[in-house]
Amino acid sequence: MIIGPVYRLTLRALLLQRRTILLALLAAAPVVMALVYALAASADAHHFRFYSHLVQDLFIPTIAAVVALVIGVSAIGDEREDGTIYYLVATPQSRIGLIATKVAAAWTATLLLLVPSLVISALLILKGAADASSILWPVAGVALATLAYCGVAGWLSLRTRRPIVIGVLYILLWEGSIATFAASASKLSIAAYGRALVAERLPEAAAPVVGPAPAVVILIAAAAITCWLGARALVRVEL
Amino acid sequence: MSDVPAIEFAGVSRWYGDTVAVADVSFAVGPGVTGLLGHNGAGKSTTLKLCAGFTSPSAGAVRIFGVEPRRNPSVYGRIGVVPDQSPPWPFLTAHEVVELVARLHRVADPGAAAARALDIVGLADVAGRKVGGYSHGMRQRVKLAQALAHDPDLLLLDEPLNGLDPAQRREIIAVLHRLGDEGRTVIVSSHVLHEVERMAPQVLVLVNGHLVAEGQTSAIRQLISERPRTIRVAAGGDGRPLAGALVDSGAVDAVRFEDGAVEFETADVDGFSRALPALARRTDTLIRRVEPVGDDLESVYAYLHERARGAGR
Repeated sequence: MIIGPVYRLTLRALLLQRRTILLALLAAAPVVMALVYALAASADAHHFRFYSHLVQDLFIPTIAAVVALVIGVSAIGDEREDGTIYYLVATPQSRIGLIATKVAAAWTATLLLLVPSLVISALLILKGAADASSILWPVAGVALATLAYCGVAGWLSLRTRRPIVIGVLYILLWEGSIATFAASASKLSIAAYGRALVAERLPEAAAPVVGPAPAVVILIAAAAITCWLGARALVRVEL
Repeated sequence: MSDVPAIEFAGVSRWYGDTVAVADVSFAVGPGVTGLLGHNGAGKSTTLKLCAGFTSPSAGAVRIFGVEPRRNPSVYGRIGVVPDQSPPWPFLTAHEVVELVARLHRVADPGAAAARALDIVGLADVAGRKVGGYSHGMRQRVKLAQALAHDPDLLLLDEPLNGLDPAQRREIIAVLHRLGDEGRTVIVSSHVLHEVERMAPQVLVLVNGHLVAEGQTSAIRQLISERPRTIRVAAGGDGRPLAGALVDSGAVDAVRFEDGAVEFETADVDGFSRALPALARRTDTLIRRVEPVGDDLESVYAYLHERARGAGR
């Protein structure tokens, strides 16, 4: 389903953008916080608790969400804006293939910015206590949450001319506010499912909405459904 | 060869809120070069976007080779599109752009196809340069090359001559003629009548979203040249003797005296042009200036629109 030339083209376009530098700086913010913590924290401080809060309260719901949203929107929205999407759409490639490829490229670019920052932060905070699972579970949570965010962003970029505004409202208003005190609302929060994976190894933050296996299924399903909706939009909206 | 026309519009309308871009348009286009003529905002780009499946009709049906392009992506294997105002990816070289598009069209040897298409548009020597560093005219030619790379049966070209110098225009027009002679269907939009005359033996004329004329370009030109015209003559004296002589000759249909000049309405511009000098001599009238009134392209389109409405289109 992934169309190699479109994947490489989109990834190249995303990484060459000036705004990617700004997103890289945003993605690097936890590293700065981790560095300050590493320098200032006492030896008996609860490193796992700080790391857990950093990942679950800052990294996934804000930094990863915003980076994935902006990159996901750029992958399709920028081409729609400058008209280059015409050259891709006017080919016999399947519409779902085009959208899935765009989302895959956006996801790759997102992970290239986020994963190094997450791993470095873990190593700085946990120092010698860091093991594979304390890094891999958060990476899995970030990876699958950003896959879903990229899918949603791609779909929004075809459905509306203001995908960033709507995406930011979802992240800040729904996930950041409503879903934090209404348990049922968190069922519609991508970040909550990402946190559910992290909680498998770092349980110090809020109780997970579901276990890790359902979280994986739900996040992958969210990405697949939004890709399908995006492909549907591609044959319905004005390009 | 199949009897299915390459492009078929059946009662197609496209509106955006209260704005009607295309209004109840029906036509069929077969092999050869067909011009899509109209002023800016006439609905040419929307018509081509409908052909290309980049938008859907609000009413009616668009069929390309018998199918709806939006729901049948496989038909794009037979279509080449040159969109207006959309330069290809600036960070790719011209060869990379054309090869990429050829690859997406599943061309057997996309590299060779790209080289061939770039040679046709005269960019072979600079194909290794990034498109972002190209002039507007060169980008236009890259757009044409990517549309040609997979050897399509139908080409949809939106203002392809924009930004080209006269020599480049001649070259591209020659390419279009060759493609039409090969039996391909080429539809090319322009707002410049003489440009369409040079490119296309057939023409569709759009005015305010309405199809107001279609047929041989030469016949449309004849129609336009035979339309009633107003000619303003600044003459010595009050011009009344000259006006009277012209009315008597039958060369004019109406006369108006305006600001010291005389405005003549005539359906026979050639007859008027022949009669004017002789009658000026005979009436001993000094002619200072002769100029057409409302002879711009907008008035031509307005005339065609009025004529089409009168014919009940």
